[in-house]
Amino acid sequence: MTFKKNLKNVFLVVFTTLILSACSTGKKSGNIEGDVYTGKETVKYLASGVPDRVFFATNKSSLTTASRATLRKQATYLRKNKKLNVTIEGHADERGTREYNLALGERRANAAKDYLMTYGISGKRISVISYGKEKPVNPASSNLAWSQNRRSVTVKVN
Amino acid sequence: MKKIFLALSIYLISFGSLSALIEVDITRGNLDPLPIAVSPLHVDIKSVEYKDVKVKELGNNISAIIEKNFKNTGLFNPLKKEAFVQKPDIAHLKPRFEDWRLIKAQALVTGKLLVKDGKLKVEFRLWDLTAAKEMTALAFTTTPSNWRRVAHIISDKIYERLTGEEGYFDTRIIYVSESGPKEERVKKLAIMDQDGANTKYLTLGNELVLTPRFNPTNQMVTYLSYFRNMPRVYLLDIETGMQEVVGNFPGMTFAPRFSPDGKKIIMSFAEDGNSDIYTMDLETRVVERITNHSSIDTSPSFSPDGKFIVFNSDRSGLQQIYVMRSDGSDVKRVTFGKGIYGTPVWSPRGDLIAFTKVRKGRFYIGVMRVDGTGERLLTENFYQEAPSWSPNGRVLVFYRETKSGAKGEGFSAKLWSIDITGYNERKLSTKTDASDPSWSSLLSK
Amino acid sequence: MTKSLIYSLIFHSVMILLTVLTLPFMIREPIDLPPIVSVELIQISDKTNIPFAPKARKIIEETKKKEERVVSEQAPPAAKAKEKPDRIPLPDEKKEQKQIVKKKQNPEEIEPQIRQSSEFEKKEIVDTSQIAALIDKAKEEEAVKKNKIDKLTQSSVKNSFATGLSLSEEDALRAQIFGCWSVPLGLPYDKDLLVRIKLKLKKDGTIMKSEILDHQRMNRPGQKFYKVLAESALRAVRLCQPLKVPPTGYEKWKDIQLNFNPTEMLKG
Repeated sequence: MTFKKNLKNVFLVVFTTLILSACSTGKKSGNIEGDVYTGKETVKYLASGVPDRVFFATNKSSLTTASRATLRKQATYLRKNKKLNVTIEGHADERGTREYNLALGERRANAAKDYLMTYGISGKRISVISYGKEKPVNPASSNLAWSQNRRSVTVKVN
Repeated sequence: MKKIFLALSIYLISFGSLSALIEVDITRGNLDPLPIAVSPLHVDIKSVEYKDVKVKELGNNISAIIEKNFKNTGLFNPLKKEAFVQKPDIAHLKPRFEDWRLIKAQALVTGKLLVKDGKLKVEFRLWDLTAAKEMTALAFTTTPSNWRRVAHIISDKIYERLTGEEGYFDTRIIYVSESGPKEERVKKLAIMDQDGANTKYLTLGNELVLTPRFNPTNQMVTYLSYFRNMPRVYLLDIETGMQEVVGNFPGMTFAPRFSPDGKKIIMSFAEDGNSDIYTMDLETRVVERITNHSSIDTSPSFSPDGKFIVFNSDRSGLQQIYVMRSDGSDVKRVTFGKGIYGTPVWSPRGDLIAFTKVRKGRFYIGVMRVDGTGERLLTENFYQEAPSWSPNGRVLVFYRETKSGAKGEGFSAKLWSIDITGYNERKLSTKTDASDPSWSSLLSK
Repeated sequence: MTKSLIYSLIFHSVMILLTVLTLPFMIREPIDLPPIVSVELIQISDKTNIPFAPKARKIIEETKKKEERVVSEQAPPAAKAKEKPDRIPLPDEKKEQKQIVKKKQNPEEIEPQIRQSSEFEKKEIVDTSQIAALIDKAKEEEAVKKNKIDKLTQSSVKNSFATGLSLSEEDALRAQIFGCWSVPLGLPYDKDLLVRIKLKLKKDGTIMKSEILDHQRMNRPGQKFYKVLAESALRAVRLCQPLKVPPTGYEKWKDIQLNFNPTEMLKG
């Protein structure tokens, strides 16, 4: 009787572990491509269908195809709302030295700004600020968190 | 002919016997900390009370600070007071060397103090117990509330006499005090004595502040503040509390440090996303551009003679360390090791550069010669960076962050110090979490 | 029988009494003041004290730091060589012309652009001071190599003359001193760290006379570490007394020279 119960328990544990691990691996491959976060977990929206942020690879400030698509949406939105000004906040993950991360955040924010400008948004409407590693959106020390923190976020100012 | 030969050989033999002095090479010894006895200072019975200073306990308190300083160096082994054989007053007059040798002490500190007429007078002596003689003796007068500093100055003098190097006890550390959750850390500038006493906060925490650094006279601090959401380099006068922004830059300025003469600030300025190194003369306000490269150039630090600048740059693709002349010419890459290198700081002696290295997801604090050779990694951890030198170039202080869990739990930032030999790694006591330490020079100089 | 017992008792109690009476004198005896080497009187200023609330302006009185020196009779003044290590910049002046863009900043102006106000030629002195030499490390390493060769020849010469002690006797002595020698930490391992001490020994191995051979180096500026090192070697010898010397052959070893050198240990 007890043996059966134990066996049942063991099965249950094994089963749940399998499910959990499947879940976690699924998440990883689904939400990080290469080194860049592709999920939607931390994303907010400037307007319906216009995500506010783009993500970067470690130590990089180049825009991915997905990031460009997001920024084009932002550009369209900004063209429609001519009176709106924005600040682009550049961020880095916690895996670099503080001062370098400040410079890296600045570079990321400017990469986004430059892209918006090529789509006709005046540079005067966009200010940039870098926070380096100072304002993580996900406080965990994990690859997922770091990929979510390597970002530039477009924020409305008025 | 034969005679000459005979004379010569006699001469040779006598010469030989003359120089047959036995020589023995001693190439090893023990590296154990030097056993030292710090006798409590004798409090003169003529002493009178002074404000809230506990005069009666002052002798014990001062010797306790000296002991703690010595223990923290890792170079000395202060012996337990219970084993002490002589009373402080007698020992200070003339120690019975045999007795102190019996408890295996090699050096002895004795002293006495008097608080009178609003003045604290302290006298101390350092004794070489094996040679049975006095090595140094000093007397100080100051206001009684300064007693902690007296203890540090005595420690410095003894340290100097026993190691041949300047001490680093009468110093302060400025750092960023941290509190609150990781996503919304509240950061304030804080200053404390090297041993963690006398913590004071210099900003209120309303805005984000980072990377404070002392000027050579320890009266001014330059740091990065996000005041009004504009990250700029500021200057703070510690005594008056006056703050001013350094220069009038149209973008972020960061990573500031003083030049060794204190007349200039060197920093990074980010223009259109590209960070280069600039200096500003604090008197003339003349801004000079030092680097002009499409890569990130940051974390500059002057050599102590002011003739060179070390900085990190990712011009090679990854963050590496470079040295150039102070006008920006003659840029040389000095790190070629695997991994990335950052936060270079020139040692006050001029012979070494301390740095942070990141390799395979681990963070190291290390030192190397100024040409990049002789790299020695002193400590390895999950996250640590920003070394700052003790004024004698013997110890580094840096900060270390711990790994945090899914919700940011378990996260902490603390100051640590390590000897440049890689020994004696030690957590500094701070009232709050702490980061970005900067070590002052000796205050009493 | 009882008589002798009484005598003995009286004798012993007198002895005890004598000891009890004289002992305090023996303790008190050393109280005669030792010659004070030198006392430096230092006034510690409050200058560097931080006012509690930094924002509240507080004027701090300018207390001058006074350094008085009270030196007593026989005082060799306490080592106070404040000179910096002998760094002699070689002003090998080579002029180089360079164009530098200087930007002048006007703090009143809120124009969001750094103006380029002047372009001028700047003279620059190329120095070859120590730091420059460090960047160019080749010389240094050459010097170290040379040093090593010197040492080798020195010790080989020594061995051919070392006839006074057998190998095992020498080892015993060496091992004894190893144990006594607390090597000061923090020595500059790229400098010459050889301390030679000449000893005159008694038959039982205690020291009659000790002499540091390179005595004058101890007080040279920038050689403070050497003084510390030499002192540590002297301490080791004194601490080890009596030295483990062979029972015979006193004439051979009554004069002995110990060469302390921690270089290899520090490097390894």
